[in-house]
Amino acid sequence: MDFALSEDNLVLQQSARTFLEKEISLGRVLVPGATVADADYDRNWTKIVAMGWPGLVVDEAFGGLGLSCIDLAMILGEMGRALAPSPFLGTLFGAWAIQKGGSQDQKERLLPQVAAGTVKLALAVAESNGATDGPGREAVARKQSGAGYLITGVKSFVIDAAAADWLIVAAMEEGSARRAFFLVDAKQAAVQADPLQWRDVTRQVCDVRFRDAVAEPLPADDAVLWPWLRDRILFGLAAENAAGAQRVLEMTVDYAKERTAFGRPIGGYQAIKHALADMLGLAECSTTAVLYAAWALSQEDKRAGLAAAMAKAYSSDAYVSATHRSVQIFGAIGFTWEMKNHLYFKRARANAELFGNARAHRSRVIDMVEKKAA
Amino acid sequence: MDFELPGEDHPKRQAVRAWFEANPEPSGRDLAEAGYIVPHWPKPWGLAAEPELQLIIDEEMKRAGVVPPHNPVAVNNCAQSLLTHGTEAQRKRFLPPALSGEELWCMLFSEPSGGSDLGALRTVARRDGDHYVVKGHKIWTSLAHKAKVGVLVARTEPDLPKHQGLSEFLIDMDSPGLTVRPIIDMSGDENEYNEVFLDEVRVPADRLLGKEGEGWALSMTQLQTERVALSKPGAIWGHGPSARELVEGLAEIGALSDGALRDEAGDIYIEGEILRLLALRALSDRMNARTPGPEGAIRKMLAAPHGQRVVDLAKRAQGARGLIAGEQPFPSQLGGKGTFEDWDYAFWFSPAVTLGVGTQEILKNVVAERVLGLPREADPTARVPWSQSRKAG
Repeated sequence: MDFALSEDNLVLQQSARTFLEKEISLGRVLVPGATVADADYDRNWTKIVAMGWPGLVVDEAFGGLGLSCIDLAMILGEMGRALAPSPFLGTLFGAWAIQKGGSQDQKERLLPQVAAGTVKLALAVAESNGATDGPGREAVARKQSGAGYLITGVKSFVIDAAAADWLIVAAMEEGSARRAFFLVDAKQAAVQADPLQWRDVTRQVCDVRFRDAVAEPLPADDAVLWPWLRDRILFGLAAENAAGAQRVLEMTVDYAKERTAFGRPIGGYQAIKHALADMLGLAECSTTAVLYAAWALSQEDKRAGLAAAMAKAYSSDAYVSATHRSVQIFGAIGFTWEMKNHLYFKRARANAELFGNARAHRSRVIDMVEKKAA
Repeated sequence: MDFELPGEDHPKRQAVRAWFEANPEPSGRDLAEAGYIVPHWPKPWGLAAEPELQLIIDEEMKRAGVVPPHNPVAVNNCAQSLLTHGTEAQRKRFLPPALSGEELWCMLFSEPSGGSDLGALRTVARRDGDHYVVKGHKIWTSLAHKAKVGVLVARTEPDLPKHQGLSEFLIDMDSPGLTVRPIIDMSGDENEYNEVFLDEVRVPADRLLGKEGEGWALSMTQLQTERVALSKPGAIWGHGPSARELVEGLAEIGALSDGALRDEAGDIYIEGEILRLLALRALSDRMNARTPGPEGAIRKMLAAPHGQRVVDLAKRAQGARGLIAGEQPFPSQLGGKGTFEDWDYAFWFSPAVTLGVGTQEILKNVVAERVLGLPREADPTARVPWSQSRKAG
């Protein structure tokens, strides 16, 4: 029983922070009108590959680092803190899917390349209304002779799809109401990924269209794979949220100490102090929820599902609130494109909506408590 | 990092459980002598217990159905100062009956002129031979009507700046010249708080705690060393119902099918769990001898409004019936009438939790200034001799 991070955890966190502060610049996105295309997305990836981060969750047997979710929380947090635009998150989600749901052959074919940074992935689960549970009717997989399938339809809100070499696609098997996961070569002509005009310009989010795209099934059952994957995705987004909220707090505290009005720093006024104290509470509670989820996931503990839902629900609202307050405390300058405040504001809004909003996860939390899973 | 709590087969747990089996109805004195009242203190008073053992003792005491003596001012706030600043004679005289619950303590801190600005207090203790003579007026004193010992902060040096001239004393609450008057609060229930009038009360000089002038530092430490209930963050300063019991109660009456209420219940439940985890994180920092992180101060700032939300949602689930005195929201009761375990009483008492032991506004100032390093509130009276600031005021 020790609820504190280890020295190793802290060293990993610090080294990630040092790397990202040195190597990642948001300068080009801070030019008005910028989109993710201006965000050094590919160049950042090359640097991240050099750090070995694509293989963080890949088993050592396949050339990865096999890190636990606690270590991963350190890096995900730093990526969220830096808002580093890159196909890191999509590749992570895809690697998780193959790691848990792939056949031995699929793992051997793809995971070493993922770990080496030569293959990028994306996970296509959401429907056009954002839903990630249910049969996934909008993309249908038709069985061919042999083991193959052809997928036709649309998946929405796919993070890093346009950069991906391979997609892991949740599609409904024709003739059944069941969903399954498929491996799809993203470079085939039957697959088209279109980046959305996504407000969070530090992240690439796409719609993907399939017209008889060749697909091979992952052997894992949806009912086994999806809860496992969902809990990790929720944790991943929550880790970004918590660290982002902490970063926004630091920026805003620094500003409140420097900016003067009526002859004194605005951070001396109680209205500002109390708003910042509230932000600290939000950030610290988010971090706590994320660490608990990281621990529960790393142990495959039975409370992991609850912990992940709590972390996503709490940190989503917290990040949204913290980023809005940050704009308020900076005043009008915080409302301009050339400041970073809006990048965090938009990331917070986007993370809050992806993979289920806070309200949906709170309802799941109550479900779990009612079933005494807590 | 490991959030696993000590399991059923943990050897330390088995030892504690064996003690409670051998002592099925322990007296306060039995518990105190076993070190179970303040397990985190050094021996002989406690067991020098690390957080793990503290948690086990909390849980096993609850499991055995044993309610420890209620002496919060001594156990949670003030008595620990005797270990560091008390004399051997003071420790021998005061600690055993305090820990066994035989002598209740109260804190004579706040005054009518202001509670948040404690440093401005006006009660004076004037040295007279081998006594101090105390004259003043205290208010919002919990348990003064039952207490045997009062921890008094009074001004011994009026000509020093306000925070420097204060000293702390352990006084007898039955001293001649000391009068206690109950304050009936908005709950209308038996009084929790009192006014205390001190009219030329003579206090032996050996009742001074620490040295003259250490009163401010001592009282600040005492206000901050509130021991955290590890297993459940109750709504009223750690006591009373928790968010988990709120959700169980709402489920019991079928209220969770209402979407809005369900959402709010989920939010409060998550907040409660996070507060529990924050307390554990703060403990681990202490255990690892790290500089305490901000968790402690933050938890305190968040816990009071959280508790208000817990009892408020239970009250709202009752609708108009909740306005009938004594009416309870849920069929299953947690504790007796007029205790913090009583949902109805806890609600009508709950406005106090953002007032007592530092108002919410002061707690936020403390967090902003000490944790975030924001500029301190200007206090024009802080640097001038207290006697002068009084005249100016």
